[in-house]
Amino acid sequence: MKTIIAVAVGALLASGTGAALAQGQQEAKALATGVCSVCHGPEGRSVSPVFPRLAGQQASYIILQLDAFRTHIRGDPNAQAYMWGMSSQLSDATIAALAAYYASQKPSTEKAGDPALMAEGEKIYTQGIRAQNVAACSSCHGANAEGAGAFPRLAGQHVDYLIAQLQGFQSGTRANAPIMVGVVRTMNLEQIKAAATYAASR
Amino acid sequence: MWREMRKTFIAALAMAGSALFLVPGGAQAVPSFARQTGMACQACHTVFPELTPFGRRFKLNAYTIDNLPQVTGITTSKEQSLLLNQLPPLSFMLQASYTSTKKAIPDSAVPGEVAQNGQVQLPQQASLFYAGRIAPNFGAFVQMTYDGSSGTFGWDNTDIRYASMANDKFLWGISFNNNPTVQDVWNTTNAWQSPFDQRSATAPTPGAATLLGGGASDMAGLSVYGFWNDSIYAELGFYRSAPAVGAPLDSTSTNVLKGYAPYWRVAYERQWTRNSWQVGAHGMDAKMFPGGGAALSGPTNRFNDWAIDSQYQYIGDEHIFSVLGAYIEEKQTWDAGGAANSTNDLKTLRIGASYFYHRRYGAALGHFSTTGSEDAVLYAPLGNAVTDFANNKPNSDGWVTELDWVPYENTKFALQYTMYNKFNGGDTNYDGQGRNAKDNNTLYLLAWLNF
Repeated sequence: MKTIIAVAVGALLASGTGAALAQGQQEAKALATGVCSVCHGPEGRSVSPVFPRLAGQQASYIILQLDAFRTHIRGDPNAQAYMWGMSSQLSDATIAALAAYYASQKPSTEKAGDPALMAEGEKIYTQGIRAQNVAACSSCHGANAEGAGAFPRLAGQHVDYLIAQLQGFQSGTRANAPIMVGVVRTMNLEQIKAAATYAASR
Repeated sequence: MWREMRKTFIAALAMAGSALFLVPGGAQAVPSFARQTGMACQACHTVFPELTPFGRRFKLNAYTIDNLPQVTGITTSKEQSLLLNQLPPLSFMLQASYTSTKKAIPDSAVPGEVAQNGQVQLPQQASLFYAGRIAPNFGAFVQMTYDGSSGTFGWDNTDIRYASMANDKFLWGISFNNNPTVQDVWNTTNAWQSPFDQRSATAPTPGAATLLGGGASDMAGLSVYGFWNDSIYAELGFYRSAPAVGAPLDSTSTNVLKGYAPYWRVAYERQWTRNSWQVGAHGMDAKMFPGGGAALSGPTNRFNDWAIDSQYQYIGDEHIFSVLGAYIEEKQTWDAGGAANSTNDLKTLRIGASYFYHRRYGAALGHFSTTGSEDAVLYAPLGNAVTDFANNKPNSDGWVTELDWVPYENTKFALQYTMYNKFNGGDTNYDGQGRNAKDNNTLYLLAWLNF
């Protein structure tokens, strides 16, 4: 699976290289400050947990998501309501430039939550839940939840946003991440909240 | 619809001020915006017509966010000369309604008889909108409305805008519009005041209104606005009389603005997590020649309004909750005549709250009140049942309750009940012909479709 994602990202990145990318960078900055920022905040630091923070997000992940919105592969309620439209006319070059812009911004931070929740979250994040076949989050998202390539940064994200995504994987409204659909299948709401709270606070 | 109603109102303003409510509102919910942006209605509206923080920014950005294929043009020096939607941003709106008052309205011709109660209107109002981007940085919201009450097709809400980001933090723009507050983005101001925006077109409504509370009509205004750091808003504009029907402005017109009437608006908005809160003030200072047979010269009547308004919204995935309120105070100076007193006050307060579950099932509760100076000429009984002020006072107050069902984001069905404690200056026999305020209590069913 990782290989497939890597190849897909590679292909998208390759299509956005060279002159087109350079030209797209100006356009992307204007787009980011003039349009995207209305929801995602200046430099990608949003206020409302409906809209994810993009500052410091992995470029490959942003590219994958924007492409998934554009092709309607990612269809959770807010994806449909907001991003299907916003992404529909984006070129590969603009997508790559937007991703580079947000990846280069300084990430946000999120405060630690309730200590009991944090303790449970740390356990899930670093060790997984063996009895429920839940893999450790850190194995893909990194020890500090900084993400890697197609695996998104979780650190500094809105807790509510992370919870909504995990619930989306579970209910099937967000089906564009087969790994996560498998991981979250057996988790209960308490475990979801714990993992999200811990990951966001890294 | 408004244009026609306002024509009636402006006559009333000279005598008394006019309806508390601006009568059935236009719709700020326009599917062509959804088609243009590719975004669902819920991006801009909690439930239409109330705007979300994003909806407010979409409007302040001159309705220009556009995600449709474009027809383009460039000059030989590579300057853009055209960027046009391949599809025109057109929308339609249809409202059908049923109205029943607690006591039937007296027959307009046969004394002692009453009109049929339980009136159906199909359509109550039907509108055609051009709502969307015109060119880069330019957008328009233009509404043309067929009014079922008057049977005429007329010009309705218009807001044509230019907006530009001066830098990362400062947005500025210009709005050309045809009624003060049509350009406003918070649902506390008169043109789009939630949950008071929808009213029966056939039921009696209180007869006194401030200029900023619905009394303004036949005007055109140009205003410049700035929005800094997503939080501080300021606007300054000037209005001038501009009747839709194009005879020269002379003694045959009524209530013609002298020169340019200034309008100002300031507001502060703060967002945190899923909450947003706004507090603001706005005002207008209008000097008018009464006209109506008198030449447009000499002394004027002055309507000096100021208002404070505030709104709070919580927008969750499951629950949406809003509280909105506005208080308007008007100082009237009657130098050109038309009132017994040389100066009068008129104050209106409206405060409302609404709740929606899953954006589908909702309820709203609102309180409204109008109070003002007693005036034997301005509020003189004219021998008209229902609309008269037998006590020479403008006072009205009451409650409005509403249940909503929104099966899809662009369709709304509302069941509304309005209760009056006081109507046109009294609770019992307020019109001098035996009608009580409660007799005007109104049951109103509305089907509202936007497509």
